[in-house]
Amino acid sequence: MPYALCFLLFMIGLYCAVVKKNMVKIVIGIMIMEYAVNLMLVMLGYHFGGVMPIVERDQMISADGQIAASFISASVDPLPQALVLTAIVISLGSLALLISICIRTYERYGTFDITDIRRLKG
Amino acid sequence: MKGMSLIVKTIGSWVKMLIFVFGVYIVLFGHLTPGGGFAGGVILASSYILLMLAFGKEQAQKNLPLSLVSRLDCLGAILFVFIAVIGLAFGGAFFVNFLHRQYWPGEPFALISAGIIPLSNIVIGLKVGASLFMVVFILSIFRPESPGDKKE
Repeated sequence: MPYALCFLLFMIGLYCAVVKKNMVKIVIGIMIMEYAVNLMLVMLGYHFGGVMPIVERDQMISADGQIAASFISASVDPLPQALVLTAIVISLGSLALLISICIRTYERYGTFDITDIRRLKG
Repeated sequence: MKGMSLIVKTIGSWVKMLIFVFGVYIVLFGHLTPGGGFAGGVILASSYILLMLAFGKEQAQKNLPLSLVSRLDCLGAILFVFIAVIGLAFGGAFFVNFLHRQYWPGEPFALISAGIIPLSNIVIGLKVGASLFMVVFILSIFRPESPGDKKE
């Protein structure tokens, strides 16, 4: 069921990116799509009642530095979270690029409407 | 373009150092608690973005000039590659944690432990903070004088 909601969120973003004619709304739709994918990746590593995958002091067996087996079975998967952190950084960079393209286009054309931006002139 | 109202300026001047210190804390304790280089760098950048929004671009430029930000950005990237290449030279592999393995194992859960991970966190925090502040500053610089003027 949560994956279906992720898919619904992705579809909302896709609708926003495809149907809307304002450039800023298209950027918002692309960002909603990225967040839906990030949410699905994080939920892949989650299981019910999981704890955060950060070792605290009392979860470590102090004699030989081993991590307790109960912590390993209880914690959520940290690998999708690291992947999503990288994806968030990349989406930040692409968001800055898209916003700068929007600003430049508005500077040149005076509008955000993509149906008015049709001249193939540098 | 001289910044916002007196209320925003006063509260911003109180809060900006707290946000900065919180960002430094997130960066330094990144290997022990949630957080790390990226999150701390974003908080560091947001303190200067608050300064820029409250006091205007000129004041932020006086406080942290764009050439200095650009240098810090490049310095972060170069130091990160430098840490990785030191791992190649001393430990035999790219990004190997040579400090933890050979020289300074450290106590678990101490602040100074885990080898090159805190160093990498500090460098990433520098890089992310500088580049994010630079992105917001450069986006605020170009502003169309009269929109639609160059049309036809």
